[in-house]
Order: sequence, then structure tokens, then C-alpha cells
Amino acid sequence: MEPLQTDSQPIGSLITSKEWLSPTTLTGHVADRFYQSTTLDAVALVDDGRPVGLVTRPKLLFTLFRRFGFELFGKKPIIAIADTNPLIMREDEKLDIAIDRALSRPDQDIYDEIMLVDWDNRYKGLLSVKQMVIHQSHALANSVVQKEMARERAKELEKVNQVKSQFIAHVTHELRAPVNAIIGLAELMRISSEKSDIGQLRDRLSVMMSSATHLRTIITNILDLSKIEAGKMDVFLETFDIIPLLREVAETARILVGNKPVDVEVVAHDGPVFTVSDPIKVRQILINLTSNAAKFTDKGRLTLAVTAGEEMVAISVKDTGIGIKEADLDKLFTAFSQVEDAKTKRHEGTGLGLTITKNLVDLLGGSISVSSRFGEGTSFEVHLPIKNSKEEVIDHGKV
Amino acid sequence: MEKFKKKILVVDDDEMLLMATKELLTAEGYDVATHVSGFGVINRITTSRPDIVLLDINMPALSGDNLAKLVLQRCDVPIVFHSSNDEDSLRRAVAECRVKGYICKGDIFDLKRKVATYLL
Repeated sequence: MEPLQTDSQPIGSLITSKEWLSPTTLTGHVADRFYQSTTLDAVALVDDGRPVGLVTRPKLLFTLFRRFGFELFGKKPIIAIADTNPLIMREDEKLDIAIDRALSRPDQDIYDEIMLVDWDNRYKGLLSVKQMVIHQSHALANSVVQKEMARERAKELEKVNQVKSQFIAHVTHELRAPVNAIIGLAELMRISSEKSDIGQLRDRLSVMMSSATHLRTIITNILDLSKIEAGKMDVFLETFDIIPLLREVAETARILVGNKPVDVEVVAHDGPVFTVSDPIKVRQILINLTSNAAKFTDKGRLTLAVTAGEEMVAISVKDTGIGIKEADLDKLFTAFSQVEDAKTKRHEGTGLGLTITKNLVDLLGGSISVSSRFGEGTSFEVHLPIKNSKEEVIDHGKV
Repeated sequence: MEKFKKKILVVDDDEMLLMATKELLTAEGYDVATHVSGFGVINRITTSRPDIVLLDINMPALSGDNLAKLVLQRCDVPIVFHSSNDEDSLRRAVAECRVKGYICKGDIFDLKRKVATYLL
């Protein structure tokens, strides 16, 4: 964001005219200059580079058009009727100070031009009061707009902050829960070992392993997301067949489903589907989607399907699980928006999986969509480019 | 002897934690009951009359701090929060809900010590 414009600019940048004449120029000649140029408002009188006087149109004409004015002064040097004590200011003076000084002059001089000089008192040009006032009012208008922008920005930041602290409260709880479980289990294992109860020890060890695995998943997710947010996630492109990858993911899904009556199937045409992409990221995307499906499906079917098009390959992960309410579909992929109040949230997990999935799909130049019927099931569809030119992928990585 | 064991009710949505806490406190010689949701806690308290309730804060739909206020309106039972939240927020919740105190989940020594103190 641009900094707020609080102090005004130097007046040297607003010079309106650099016209000057010698103080010995005849008044009649000066008057001719004013007659010829209707836009000339004032002329500086400069002697050897130094300002010595100021002639303004209204004052000159007033003097000359008085009775006998022209006869009296026409043939005299202009310095005789010029203002020999005009307001002279340094060109690096601030606009607001210059306006103050210009406007604090006597009424009859208030609109007279200001003569600007450099540090060595050499004449640089004339500055009209009109010009200064126009600039000042623009600056004021700008500062009002900028203040409004700053206020809007502050509001946004406050919102982001709120979401962040909500997120931290949430993550804190998610991280501590498995750690506490591990500590508790370790203590219980100590008790079992004192009793030499190997069976109990073995049971507790396996529960502890699953708590530790859960903890690792959460930590990996948080680290991945911060890597993505920092734009540090790299993409390594390879040509590979997507089918074996899909079968491997299905195998993992079968393990996650465990004893629940859920069939896991892969639907694909015969033959390989070669793709240029990052297989590690593609696997991560599919694992995230299928482990969600496995978690929220108690019975029925989990289907992984692939269809290859001309330019894109479509992979869908479909389940017959609890489904997602329509109102929640929009915010599914938006970072942090799915964070419920940590105190009363219903589902375990950080809810970061889908945010990461969406980011990974974007990184690979693809797209992801979801459709769901609450209580009937959910279907995620990922479209990935079959031929990924490196430039495109890198471009996406920067977004 | 069994009669004189102090009764503890542990309320939490995390079954793993309930199991661990139950075993740890049973080993300390208490009579420990568990309840796996924020709902039905008042009934459970009026029927089983525990000497102390360890109450989790983060639970689906009904948070422990709100539940504590409801319980204290109806039952005269000491409540202690048992949570993974940070201590600052626990201190605030204790003051706000006028419960006995809090125990940080995962600190087994603190759990044993505080439960013993609150049951004196």
C-alpha cells in the first residue's frame, strides 16, 4: 500500500512561469507584453540572476489606466512602479507553509505571485497562488481517499487476525490432543510393564502408534500449508502412468476403511493413462480425498475413477458417506473458512486437508470441483493437464 | 473399603483420553466413571453423585464451559476443567464459570496432584 500523503510537496515543482525581464525595461514595453499575451499574469524582474521586483497584470493595468498613468510611467523603467518587496521563497519550501505565508499578506497583495529562488537566491520562477490552492485541495481530497482506504485495510487486517487466532486456537487443540494421548499411554504402559502384563502393553503400544501417526499427519499438514502459503512448494514434473498410482491409493483406502462394509473400487479403461505431472503431489491429492471419503463413509462404496481426455485427465473420488450440506460446499476449499469454533467443533482433524488439496491441484495447473447430497454421498472431481509445459506449472506456482 | 473410595466422573468426547484418564486415576485408588459426551451429564451426576467432575472444554455442540454453568445451576458438585487449551484461556474460563480449577491434559503429575488436593 502507498504511504499516506501527510506532508505536502516542495513548491518548486509547481512553478507556473519562468518569464522574467530586466528591471530597466521600459514600462511601455512591459505593458505590450501583457496586451499580447492574455495568459501572462505576472512578470518577474531579475537583475544578474537575482529577483528584484514583481509586476502583476492587475496592478500594472490599474496604474497605467489611471489618469495620465501611461503618460507618467510609459517611458520610465518598469522597476519604478514594480513591487520591489514581493514575497520570495525558497523552491524547496513546503506547499502548506507557502500557502500560509501567501495568504497572510495584506488583502491587496494576497493573489500576487510568489517568486521562487534556489539555495543561492537565484531566481527560479513564479508560482501563482491559484496554482498552489488547486494543488492543496487535490492533496486534501487524496488524503481523504487514502484515509478511507487505510480504514478499509485496517478492517480487513482485523478480520484476518481474528481468523488467524481462531486457527491457532484450533491447531493448538489438535496438536495437544494426540501428544497428551501419547503421554497418557506411555504412563499406562509403564504401569502395565510394572505388572508385567505383556498383553495390555501390546494393546496400548498399538493405540499409541495410531496416536503418533495421527500427530504426524497433523504436523505434515500444517507444514505443507505454510509451505504453500509461502510459495515454497516445488513441482517436479515426470511422465508417469496414473493407473498404478490409483490402485495404490485404493489399497490405502481399503486399509483406512478397515472393518466397515465399504467396497473400494477403481474404474478405468484398459491400458495406461500417461500424464506429465508431479506424481508425489498427485498421490497426496488422491490420498487426501480418499482418506476423507473413508473417514466419512460407514457403508456402501468408495469409487476411484479415471477418464483421459485430449488435454486433461479427470479423476473422481466418489463415496456413499454422510455427504456435505449445500451451505458448506462453497467454503470447503477456502483456507481457514472451515474452521469452526474450536470449543464445539464436530469433526476431528484440522480441516486443512482439502485446503491443501485445492492448493496442490492449482499448483499442478488443474482444477477441482465437488458435488454432494447431504446424507447420500460426495463426489470430488480433479482435472489435471495431461501435458504440462514447465512454464505453465511454474507460472501457476507463483500465483 | 470400596465404599470409601472417592468417586470421579470424567467427561470428554475423546474415548482414548477417557480410557487413559480412567486407568491412571483408578491406579491411584479412585472410583472412576466416564461419560463420552457433553449431553446427559446432569443426569449422570444426579444418579451417580461423584465427588468431583473432570470436564473437557472442547466438545461437539456443547462446550464444557457452557455445560459447567448449567451443571452448577442444578447440582452442588465440584467441577474441574480438564483441557488441552492454553492455560490463559483456562484461567479465564475458571473465573468466568466459577469452577474449582483446571488441569492441563497431558500433565499426569498435575492430574494426580490436583485431583488429590481437590478431593481433600
